[in-house]
Amino acid sequence: MKSFRRMVYPYIIWAGIFIVIPMLMIVFYAFSKEGNAVMTVSFTLDNFIRFFSDSIFVNVLLRSLKLAIITTIICIVIGYPCAYFMAQLKPNSQTLMVLLVTFPMWINMLVRTYAWRGLLIESGLSPELKVYIGMIYNFLPFMILQVYTSLSKMDRDLITAAHDLGCDNKKAFLKVTLPLSVPGIISGITLVFLPAVSSFFIPRLLGGGSYVLVGNLVENYFVTTGDWNFGSAISLIMTVVILISMYFTRKFDYSKEDR
Amino acid sequence: MKKLIEFRNIVKKFDDNIVLKGINLDINENEFVTLLGPSGCGKTTLLRILGGFLSQDQGEIIFDGNEISDVPPYKRPINTVFQKYALFPHLNVYENVAFGLKIKKTPKDIIKTKVDRMIELVGLNGFQKRDVTSLSGGQQQRVAIARALVNEPDVLLLDEPLAALDLKLRKEMQHELKRIQQEVGITFIFVTHDQEEALTMSDKIVVMKDGNIQQIGTPQEIYNEPVNEYVANFIGESNILDGVMKKDYLVSFDDKDYECVDFGFKENENVDVVIRPEDIKISKVNKGKMTGIVKSVLFKGVHYEVIVQTKIGTSKTVTMHVLDDRDVFNQDQNEKMHANDFTMDLEDVKDITDEEIVARANAQAWDSINDEDISISAVEYDIEERPGKYPVTFKTHNGTLITVHVNVVEPKYVEDKASNIGITAFDFYKTVDEIKESMAISVDLKTWADAYAWSLDDDEEIGIDDVNFDFDPMDIKEGDYKITFATQGREYKIHTTEYFEEGTKVFLNISPEDIHVMEKMVKM
Repeated sequence: MKSFRRMVYPYIIWAGIFIVIPMLMIVFYAFSKEGNAVMTVSFTLDNFIRFFSDSIFVNVLLRSLKLAIITTIICIVIGYPCAYFMAQLKPNSQTLMVLLVTFPMWINMLVRTYAWRGLLIESGLSPELKVYIGMIYNFLPFMILQVYTSLSKMDRDLITAAHDLGCDNKKAFLKVTLPLSVPGIISGITLVFLPAVSSFFIPRLLGGGSYVLVGNLVENYFVTTGDWNFGSAISLIMTVVILISMYFTRKFDYSKEDR
Repeated sequence: MKKLIEFRNIVKKFDDNIVLKGINLDINENEFVTLLGPSGCGKTTLLRILGGFLSQDQGEIIFDGNEISDVPPYKRPINTVFQKYALFPHLNVYENVAFGLKIKKTPKDIIKTKVDRMIELVGLNGFQKRDVTSLSGGQQQRVAIARALVNEPDVLLLDEPLAALDLKLRKEMQHELKRIQQEVGITFIFVTHDQEEALTMSDKIVVMKDGNIQQIGTPQEIYNEPVNEYVANFIGESNILDGVMKKDYLVSFDDKDYECVDFGFKENENVDVVIRPEDIKISKVNKGKMTGIVKSVLFKGVHYEVIVQTKIGTSKTVTMHVLDDRDVFNQDQNEKMHANDFTMDLEDVKDITDEEIVARANAQAWDSINDEDISISAVEYDIEERPGKYPVTFKTHNGTLITVHVNVVEPKYVEDKASNIGITAFDFYKTVDEIKESMAISVDLKTWADAYAWSLDDDEEIGIDDVNFDFDPMDIKEGDYKITFATQGREYKIHTTEYFEEGTKVFLNISPEDIHVMEKMVKM
């Protein structure tokens, strides 16, 4: 066992160089001034003050959160019945359905989004609506699969037991099936909300320049403007927002289980 | 006692498979009823139909005077303890037990009183807040029972609830269940394949087989007066013998007449006789109706299980000719060859094939350097259809050859009219090495001698259980050896607290009331 443990070292080094150090650099940039000569480091909160004092930036952040939340909710609303239906099928049909759901994922997300762009470009829909369509389309399979997995693992006898103890179909669903699939919903939310809040190419491709999200802001400041300090600060703010929202989601999960 | 449930001609099919073939059964109030049978006998299906989780294809279920076939499960005054408990993993012990009451919108304070009392009853006080997944199998079992009973059902269904527990816990729960049933005073319907469980707990046992009820009765009735061979075999251990009912109170088996307490059979009707192992009195000194030899003794804790053979089986003795190695060695080709003389039944001569001759003579050829097998390319023989000795020659491609003799003999078999068994076996030839190399000498001897026994009634094969010989296979020399093949004969299984050495001569006695005579079962 001990010698196997050594096999993790390359990964630790890899992760150190390509994940930890860049992250530290982001933090470092976010708290320092423009003109990044390493020797003359000066600590500052200017970047954050600039972000929060300008309503445009704050609005972009709120818009991103709104988009992510609505996308997640719609994914649950469409995905849950879909997964529930799949879990009721015969084993063979279930395998087929899982295949059908995962089928689009065989093609790169970027390519599929380009395809949507072609489809929607003449549609006359608002940029916002186009972005929503693209988001839901891309993230729905993650929700379906997560919920389906938790539903299909569930012991059928539990439903029988619920009927035995006086539940009709509706109550059996509300009291047993739904609570037991909460962990699946939570991991579905994680898989949909996180990429949705920071997504930048879907809004850019489908919303055109007019629908800017946090992800686009970060991209802009790093790539176009070259203002790494402000870009880093925005990334950091986004990270904190994500951490907070995940904390609340988990909290919801545990409180369900404790009860 | 008041009749609570009536099953009337319940038929259930799954696809084309008929699982229940017209079940008629009455269950009374406050009864502990066990549905007993092997897996696939339909007992669980019947339980699920009563629970409302399956619907029957034909027949009626009358519950307390009302037909309830169309009542959904959640409206039936019946609760179930499932085989794998089916506890709700997202709820703790208290919430699991309270589940049914909460659904019925019982006031909170009443729920609390009832649930706590029920948890107390099943002996889990203090576990209210525990996560059900952290409980042991026995504790989960108790939660499942409490969760069902707290709803105060008229009937509790238990679907093999003890199957997942270990032996000690199972025994404990058996007593526990019986106690709980007496305390709450409702009808328990218990499904199991474990006869001991059934005997321990039940007021009434229903023995099932292939979708039919075989017998309904108290544990004592089922054990002491099984209606047929199947029930006798399923409930406890027993000796089951073929017998003939000479007249009322007189049955004949094993060529002797015995007094018995049974009557009402036709004169000279063929019957099954069941004798429980503990009802046979075994002794070294007292004279008995039967004598026999102790064949084996097993210690079973409280008693010894003694197998006594009262009659040896039908037997046939043959001669094994053991020869020295006679391998042929072709030095030019580096080939070695080997074959045995062999004996053949006159009846087999007509249809004999080359392959069979090679097999019977055990003819082999191999490379003397690397030991690899070489195929035999030609078999030459001229066997006539009358007894005699004929030469057989085996050849390889490279010209190595060996000649052996085949002994064609008249078919010889022993027919035992008394036991209706025929047995046959042939003399055979083997080399010292072949015997030494045998991994399972008794099995090989049977194959070599072509030993076979069959029933004269229906030509079915009968096992040859005894192969007797008096040589040491690991240290055998050239010469002739006698080998006796025999069928099982008559053996009795006896439970006794006294120890008997293997090979002892013993006397057996059976009291008339311990001889249970039953109608022959109709073979399906």
